[in-house]
Amino acid sequence: MKRASALTLAALFLLPSLTVLGGCGAKEKATVLRIYNWEEYIDDGGEGALLYDELHLTDENGESVPSDLIDGDYLDWYRETMGVELSDEGPELLDDFCLWYEKEYGTPISVEYSTFGTNEDMYNEIVLGNEYDLLCPSDYMIMKLAAEGRLEPYDESFFDESDPNNYYVRGVSPFIRDKFANNAGLDSTEYLWKDYAAGYMWGTTGFVYNPALVQPDELASLGWKAFTSEKYKGKITAKDNVRDTYFAALGVTYQDELLALDRSAEGYSKELTRIFNATDDGTIEEVEPTLMAIKDNIYSFETDTGKADMVSGKIWLNYAWSGDAVYALTLAESDENEEGEAEGSVLLNYYVPESGTNLWFDGWVMPKGSNKQAAQAFVNFLSMPNNAMRNSYYIGYTSAIAGENNEMLAYADYLYGEEESDTTTTYDLSYFFYGEGTEGLATIVADEEQAACRQLFAQFPPSEVIARSAVMDYYGEEANVRINELWSRVKAETLDAWAIVVICVTVLAIAAFIVFVKFGGKIDFFRRKPKKGYTLVKQEPLR
Amino acid sequence: MKIPRFSRKTLCVPYAVFLLFFVIIPMLIILFYAFTDKEMHPSFSNFIRFFSDPTKLSTIVYSLVIALITTVACLVIAYPVAYILARSTLKKKFVILMLFVLPMWINFVLRVNAIRELFNLLTSLNGMEWLAGANYFKTVFGMVYDFLPFMILPLYTTMLKIDNSLYEASADLGGNAFTTFTRITVPLSMPGIMSGVTMVFLPSMTNYVVSDMLGNAKVTIIGKFIYEYFGTDWHMGSMVALVLLIVVFVSTWLSGGFKSEENVRGTNL
Repeated sequence: MKRASALTLAALFLLPSLTVLGGCGAKEKATVLRIYNWEEYIDDGGEGALLYDELHLTDENGESVPSDLIDGDYLDWYRETMGVELSDEGPELLDDFCLWYEKEYGTPISVEYSTFGTNEDMYNEIVLGNEYDLLCPSDYMIMKLAAEGRLEPYDESFFDESDPNNYYVRGVSPFIRDKFANNAGLDSTEYLWKDYAAGYMWGTTGFVYNPALVQPDELASLGWKAFTSEKYKGKITAKDNVRDTYFAALGVTYQDELLALDRSAEGYSKELTRIFNATDDGTIEEVEPTLMAIKDNIYSFETDTGKADMVSGKIWLNYAWSGDAVYALTLAESDENEEGEAEGSVLLNYYVPESGTNLWFDGWVMPKGSNKQAAQAFVNFLSMPNNAMRNSYYIGYTSAIAGENNEMLAYADYLYGEEESDTTTTYDLSYFFYGEGTEGLATIVADEEQAACRQLFAQFPPSEVIARSAVMDYYGEEANVRINELWSRVKAETLDAWAIVVICVTVLAIAAFIVFVKFGGKIDFFRRKPKKGYTLVKQEPLR
Repeated sequence: MKIPRFSRKTLCVPYAVFLLFFVIIPMLIILFYAFTDKEMHPSFSNFIRFFSDPTKLSTIVYSLVIALITTVACLVIAYPVAYILARSTLKKKFVILMLFVLPMWINFVLRVNAIRELFNLLTSLNGMEWLAGANYFKTVFGMVYDFLPFMILPLYTTMLKIDNSLYEASADLGGNAFTTFTRITVPLSMPGIMSGVTMVFLPSMTNYVVSDMLGNAKVTIIGKFIYEYFGTDWHMGSMVALVLLIVVFVSTWLSGGFKSEENVRGTNL
């Protein structure tokens, strides 16, 4: 009896821990898909979600009425795809995946979704033996994981275009597909990216700037050297991570060399990639003073305060990833005052240095031991054009998906398209939808400013920006150590050797003095020595 | 039903297990990582690299100085407050004390963010532009703000316990205010000072959230190094952590933190 009650008690304590499975609610015997993604890198149905905003308008009676999205048949698509009607609470992508998976594959599934903040955090988790089915690292981390043999390759069936459920291979942008098929022009690794990774988001890096405070012409003439320009002293920020800032410092140091390269020459892209991936001792020696100059000149090293500081006008230039740039630009111009007027709105621009920039990708990879079938189904689910739009809209980054019928072009047009007029221009995105080297096949009519320096330019960079962008390689173990040492020299203050010696000696002297006081027992700070003729009577300490 | 009886030894078991798994074994792991290389072979290379790198030694020095200034500033601010509170005959002492301790109940990151915004506001004023670049000042300010309650509380609780008759005796024997202060208040509040110093000095060497957010990540203290190394090189990270541990151990030992006598009574937070 006693034992039975103890068991009940134990069961009561264990019960809550059984119910914490996230995602779609734990169903009996459901397969569990464990996803490990960046923070804020998926549409979780929160405030600002595309469909939530678009579908749940209210009529004059305050009743919720569904509206149309882009082509007007989203509700039909949703009903068909998920097998249920759209709920009122607003859709959540992970729940939708569970509905879709069960409908398509006949077995229930639940998702355990967790997030990380940096590639290195994610890597540590994997090395420590935490098991996941699907990860979303950046380009260089994919290379590192693959080189260490920690990844499962995608199945051949994943690339079978005849399967209607293979949304990834049917919908991925030819541009991304080619980059993944030939390692984005890097030839340092022997395996192919496409075998291990499916593209999720991609973009460039550049400067978000406030045109009211920074002359665009001036910035264009400075390029990367804006980082060290006296003009922007204390008004520019760099990233608080070694890879992005080292890349920027390479840009500053070798800007003239980069500009002198012949763009039309055959080896241009290779040479550009080589310069932006140089990690030899000579380069590090040359880059170190640049990094020091950058540190002196910038306002701060930041990872996420830059956006807010741009909007508030505290800084003029923010070195940013393109997706963050889209977010900052949109946030700044929608900054409304209490009456809902766009009074406090600030117009920001995005600029990519002429001499070249960073092209980056985040992709889905499966670590060893992953449930490949479910993981690949999830990648395919995310690659459905509607879902790619939802994610892209919510997080501001650019999806690697073009859509089987180039649905993403319709999306870009929906966001940025304009009636043709004097201030519009034809914006060519053929490279993304039809592959590099094509022209005039996929265009939208957009505002000139949008095309030159605003959200459109940041979210869907034109082909000339792509032509002068380089992917960052994984440095390799040995170079990594040297670059981390460089980074710590840059971030910390280094004292002269003599100063360290003096300080160490002083500290030791103080320590010796304290030891002497403690154990010498002769010196007493708070009790005077007895006057002549008196003797000290040993006392119990006061309590 | 018989009430189960536990011996003292049995009651110790949970804490002993906790100690073993969350204190002793992790320490050993740090020690192991600090003296091995990437291939897990025993190696002194991290040790040599640490002590031959002026940057790391300088960072230790900078962290010590920042922590020292923070501690002194906290002591200077907290001591009079604690003294006045403990000695006053105010009826609502509790309320005033709470006002000092209240910020501790609000999330720390939120508070640092608030300070950051306040500094932004101040920087935009005329004649205050120098604040934008005063990263060390802002870091120390943030640390003092953050750790002040940890100084006030132990000081206040020790001072509260000083018997009033000692002050009367001092006055009876002709001691003036200064003598009373130096001969009675200071010596008897020493345990409080020590525990306050320990509680402020040690965390302010490693609290890199403050230096990142208020120092614009241009101020690097030793805690940030540990964090960054654990992203790429656990062995070096462990070595830095180990060195910090030793620095902390030595400074605690020197300040008498290990005395098992009545001194510890000041630490009840």
